[in-house]
Amino acid sequence: MNIENFPDSFDSTVDSGLAWLSDNGAGLFDTVNDALKGIYEGLLWLFNLPPYYVVAVLIALLGWRLAGPRFAIATLIGMLFCAFIGLWSETMGTLALVVVATLMALLVAIPLGVIAGLLPAMDRMIEPTLDLIQTMPPYIYLLPAIALLGYGTGTALIATFIVALPPAFRLTSLGIRMTPNEFIELGNASGVTGWQMFVKIRLPFAMPSIMAGINQSLMMAFGMVVIAGIVGSGGLGETIYGAIRTLDIAKSINAAIAIVILTMVLDRLAQSAAAAQGGKRS
Amino acid sequence: MITPKLDVNDVLVSCQSVWKIFGENSAAAMKAVVERGLTKKQILQDYSCVVGVSDVNLEVRRGEIFCIMGLSGSGKSTLIRLLNKLITPSSGKVLVGGRELSSLSAAELRAVRARQIGMVFQSVALLPHRTVLENTAFGLEVQGVAKAERLKVAEAALAKVGLADWIHRYPDELSGGMQQRVGLARALAADPQVILMDEPFSALDPLIRRQLQDEFRQLTKELGKSAVFITHDLDEAIRIGDRIAIMKDGMIIQVGTAEEIVLNPADDYVAEFVAGISRLHLVKAKSVMTPVSLYKAAHPNIDLSRLPTTHPDADLDQIIGLAVANDRDAIAVIDSGVVAGVITMRDLLRGVQGIANEYAQPAGETLVEVSS
Repeated sequence: MNIENFPDSFDSTVDSGLAWLSDNGAGLFDTVNDALKGIYEGLLWLFNLPPYYVVAVLIALLGWRLAGPRFAIATLIGMLFCAFIGLWSETMGTLALVVVATLMALLVAIPLGVIAGLLPAMDRMIEPTLDLIQTMPPYIYLLPAIALLGYGTGTALIATFIVALPPAFRLTSLGIRMTPNEFIELGNASGVTGWQMFVKIRLPFAMPSIMAGINQSLMMAFGMVVIAGIVGSGGLGETIYGAIRTLDIAKSINAAIAIVILTMVLDRLAQSAAAAQGGKRS
Repeated sequence: MITPKLDVNDVLVSCQSVWKIFGENSAAAMKAVVERGLTKKQILQDYSCVVGVSDVNLEVRRGEIFCIMGLSGSGKSTLIRLLNKLITPSSGKVLVGGRELSSLSAAELRAVRARQIGMVFQSVALLPHRTVLENTAFGLEVQGVAKAERLKVAEAALAKVGLADWIHRYPDELSGGMQQRVGLARALAADPQVILMDEPFSALDPLIRRQLQDEFRQLTKELGKSAVFITHDLDEAIRIGDRIAIMKDGMIIQVGTAEEIVLNPADDYVAEFVAGISRLHLVKAKSVMTPVSLYKAAHPNIDLSRLPTTHPDADLDQIIGLAVANDRDAIAVIDSGVVAGVITMRDLLRGVQGIANEYAQPAGETLVEVSS
């Protein structure tokens, strides 16, 4: 084989591999894509159902409950600002993307993390995969996804899902493993069953760590959802990407401000929820 | 201190030639011990295994507080964990209530731990997200006792340890001594026959510690519970224990009452331990008295009936008080209405030194058991 021809032949091999995969798995990928899109659009429809000020007030009220009145007022002002700069529906789009991707990631990461926390052998198997996920630039995950699922929300959600997996998994596994030994002894000496040991002793001690993992996953998802604007995810990420292409600097800055506001609101909400969980007694 | 009569035959917990060897080759090391009788040092060299507990035999009777005294590394914490199979022995049998633990299924073992043998830890291990009351009810909760019922029992247990006013607090609001009382209440709530106490008072300051020692002993006796009490402090063992086992290098080198150990230390190690212990409240009249016949032979002219009298279980402190109050140099020991012996000043002084009268009856109803 001539070395100059190698890049071309490698490209065509990859191309034909992906083509084979999308031909043969077309049914599967279409179903996945439709399902993801369906969930996202359903949630987005829900967010856009009431007028923007109702949603803003609801989020502010949640903030009040979790983090107090000052945060609630700041949240209300921030959310209303997003509406006044004309980016309300995009903001809700980003919110829906983050919520869907994070929930999917948690649904996988937390049960797996619990199992890995109980079975060190499994943890050793999964860890290298997570290292790989976290080492590679998040951008990379858009490529196989776009080849299989095409341009759009499905790709954005899958890539975001992958990026959001590791923190929740790692911190759940760590939390479950870190039960102080004296409490394991207490459980055994009291005659607990395996299930009771998990629910009554391991889980309560792991809770702060699990909540920290949820928060981290949420933030990872946020970062990725904005990057995923490039594949037509919808939401603020796509707005920024579009504005940059047309050199509409003002609009891109507006969208960036909306992203910052939404990030801060979600981060603070998640942290307060975690703190409330940690401080909650019984 | 109240010391009810113990039934010597009613054994609740017993260990029969129990060994625990830690390490990857522990099975091979155990085999080598059985076949070739290797020493602890040889096992460490040849198998890089550590001998935690070495050929221990012991019996804990109903209603008895059995103290295991040893310095750190002596294997006492390992030994107590063998009694409820938190650690599985490498060899030998552990029986609780007549049933061998290693023969039980997982469910049976859970039932034994939940109902028959409670445990109190040095670290207390109170669940931080539960109230004192919920912590105390933990054992019953695990057993599936209904909530109202278990909280009622837990409340009663807390009242017994004097914490009735603290039931809705959280563990971090309590002092160390109070937390340890909660630990005890939690063990008592499940109403076990035996309570394993793993150095429960070691981390407390001296005053609180003495108070808890006395309360613990009183409560255990009132409720008729047995206890195995681990400590590194001989004073504590003497204060609390009906019998004391002294451990060194994984072996029990002597078992006996405080008086027996003080008067007849099994070896130099024990002798050194008891050297600093005051004999005044440990040594009893019956251990130091001279038999009547010998006394009469030496002092034919003295009328025994005119001597001040005491009873066989009077301690040296009481006898000294008696000797000081009466201007006589001998005291008669009366047992069931007859003179059982006479304590001379020489006997008394030797008693303070920790030396029994060589002709006196051996102390206590049990003899010193020495496991090899």
